[in-house]
Amino acid sequence: MLKNLSRKIFIVILIILLLLAFSKSYATLNIDNLSVIVAMGIDISDKNHLQISFQFTNPSSVSESGTSEQAPSIIYSVDASSISSGINLINTYIGKSVNLSHCKVIAFSEEIASQGISDEIYTLINDTQIRPSTNIVISKTSARYYLEHSKPLFENLITKYYEVFSASGSYTGFTANATIGDFFNSLICQSCEPFAILGGVTNSSTESTGATNSENDTTTKSNASSLFGQSTAENTGLAVFKEDVLVGELNSIETLCFSIMRNQVDGFLISVPNPNKANSYIDLHVTPLTSPKVTVDILNGTPYIRVNCRFTGRIYSMEDNADYLNNDMLNQISNSCNSYLESILTDYMYKTSKALNSDINGFGKTARGNFLTLNDFYDYHWSEKYKDSFFEVSIDSSIRSSSLLTES
Amino acid sequence: METSKITAAEAISIILGIFVAYTLVALPRSMLETTKTATLINLIYVGVIALFITFLIYKLLIKFPGNDIVDIAEYLGGKTLKTFIGIVFIFYFLFSSSILLRNFCECLKIVYYPMTSLVFIILTFIITICITLRHRFSSIAKVNLLIIPLVIISIMFLFIANIKNFSLDNIFPIFGDGVFNTFVTGLGNLGSFGGITLLYFLPPYLKEPQKMKKVYLTSVILGIVYFLLCVSIILFMFISLMYTNQIMPLYSAARYIEFGNFFQRLESIFLLIWILQMICYLSIVTKLSISIFKKITNIRDEKPLILVFGLLIFAISLLPKNYAISKFIEDYIYHYMVIIISIFLGISLLILAYFKKRKKKELNANVEKSI
Repeated sequence: MLKNLSRKIFIVILIILLLLAFSKSYATLNIDNLSVIVAMGIDISDKNHLQISFQFTNPSSVSESGTSEQAPSIIYSVDASSISSGINLINTYIGKSVNLSHCKVIAFSEEIASQGISDEIYTLINDTQIRPSTNIVISKTSARYYLEHSKPLFENLITKYYEVFSASGSYTGFTANATIGDFFNSLICQSCEPFAILGGVTNSSTESTGATNSENDTTTKSNASSLFGQSTAENTGLAVFKEDVLVGELNSIETLCFSIMRNQVDGFLISVPNPNKANSYIDLHVTPLTSPKVTVDILNGTPYIRVNCRFTGRIYSMEDNADYLNNDMLNQISNSCNSYLESILTDYMYKTSKALNSDINGFGKTARGNFLTLNDFYDYHWSEKYKDSFFEVSIDSSIRSSSLLTES
Repeated sequence: METSKITAAEAISIILGIFVAYTLVALPRSMLETTKTATLINLIYVGVIALFITFLIYKLLIKFPGNDIVDIAEYLGGKTLKTFIGIVFIFYFLFSSSILLRNFCECLKIVYYPMTSLVFIILTFIITICITLRHRFSSIAKVNLLIIPLVIISIMFLFIANIKNFSLDNIFPIFGDGVFNTFVTGLGNLGSFGGITLLYFLPPYLKEPQKMKKVYLTSVILGIVYFLLCVSIILFMFISLMYTNQIMPLYSAARYIEFGNFFQRLESIFLLIWILQMICYLSIVTKLSISIFKKITNIRDEKPLILVFGLLIFAISLLPKNYAISKFIEDYIYHYMVIIISIFLGISLLILAYFKKRKKKELNANVEKSI
């Protein structure tokens, strides 16, 4: 009797103890005590500290505003010596605990990225709340300015906008999915280099100024695009890193080449020279058939990189007197497509090698196959040798037909 | 006693459970640290050796049908050796499981319970295993048989769902840190096959002893395949893990699983399954420790021992001052313990007992001849 009673008392005490112990963690992670951050911006402040901007969303305003109005987002910035101190200060200011588990974007200003961001990346990846799928953006403007202009045009929720903004890369190839997980892995990896999305803010004038740095619509990039109208954030192009330091940028067509090499693009539109009409172009919708086949040989101590890609495609544009049922015509267009893609891919690879000396394609991983041991590979100093690489690109594309119209 | 007998499938799942438990915390990463990009080759090489060791253990154990290593030690060296071997294996089971529990709870604390004291997280597991241990060994084995397929499916799902993140080039250079490191220093990865220890204790529990060979070889082959699966996930996904240390590499891999914008954050489901497996592992190991203790002390009722062993695990798990120490023990000392206790001590004892038996047989034959 007494034994049973004492056992019951013991069990009750144990349950109460465990409830008390685990309630602390529950309280910390309770939604009432959290403020959800959807994006974070990191700049350099005047005092050479970090200026960290936090973009919050107000969950209650989402439910109150219904579906027709955009849920407002709030941006707070704080000067701090580190990200952790910044979070601590903002926790004190807003009276709630900042939660990063829904943070979709981390934007760095170009200025801080040029100085190196490894400490920030290590700190962020060490945080259990940060998802490896969080996108990294290098902003041509200040990170705060970029966040202020990151407004969803066609969605009500900023979170939904951040969720899908990099998805256009799969059908344009002009932007890429660059996550903090990949960035960290590339930062550590000794045979590849990190990359990030290149962000900027669209010119707010109502007419095109024509004052872009681009030659045509395939060489645009963030802050140098031909877009005009409402002032919003844009994400065209790619920021290229050597270790943790920003060393250059890729424009839209180069980003497309990167996407092809990383097998990140499902299909894309390109304009290739019309084989039957000088100074005229045909638009093609091209789909990769397989992932690129890369072979790396070391010839006389120099990397010799061969890339083979296979595509299929359809003619997207139409013109008068076109005969796209003619087999010879389709072969000529296929050849034109081959030449064009070979040209842009070769130019892109030489740019990453000679101009940027950054192996963002990860050719170094394939090159490791030439070595028997890791020490042999380290002794080769791939990251230094990459700039001496030679490339040979071969494209095998097959243009099948036009779309609805086959002859005109 | 009859109700404590286990089927062949249950026995396989128990052995596999030991292999699985260690992969949930840090095992794939510590293998990768030893042999780098050559881990897959090393694993096949070490796996073949483990298979040979298993076969040897089987061949020696069938000479003593229905006996476990403690009984064989008694046959070889009397009560003193029996007590010594019993204490060594109790220490091995309690120490290794306590440190694994500590590390698993440290990871749980970091990931899900940042404000909860580690003591309470460990205590929750201890209470659970104390309740579980009130049931028979066969009941625990049955539950383990239910959980193990879930864990295997979760790891297979982890592999398939992450294929898009794989870079097969990560296996190059094929010999990692060199041929010597892969095939000589890499022998240390034999310490990952801690499940082998259980082979010494299962014979008395087997419902169908004639299936012992099948049970032993199948479980080790499945263990090798399971290890290959785990290491492949880590090697193909995180080349960075060769240079950095991350808690629970398989959990980190689970964080990368996303199917569109809807199916995200599936790692919680994985962790739930893995917690269940950890409880099964702790229950099996503690049950075996209690049965060894019963054998060397001739205690009949095991119920009072449950709390004592539970508290022992609790106390040992709190011994390391910090995660660095407990991680060091799991990554290095555990491996040496497996090699020294499970492989060298166990096999040496079986071989000596076998020779003793043969000598006895020969003597008997000579006596019979002379008569």
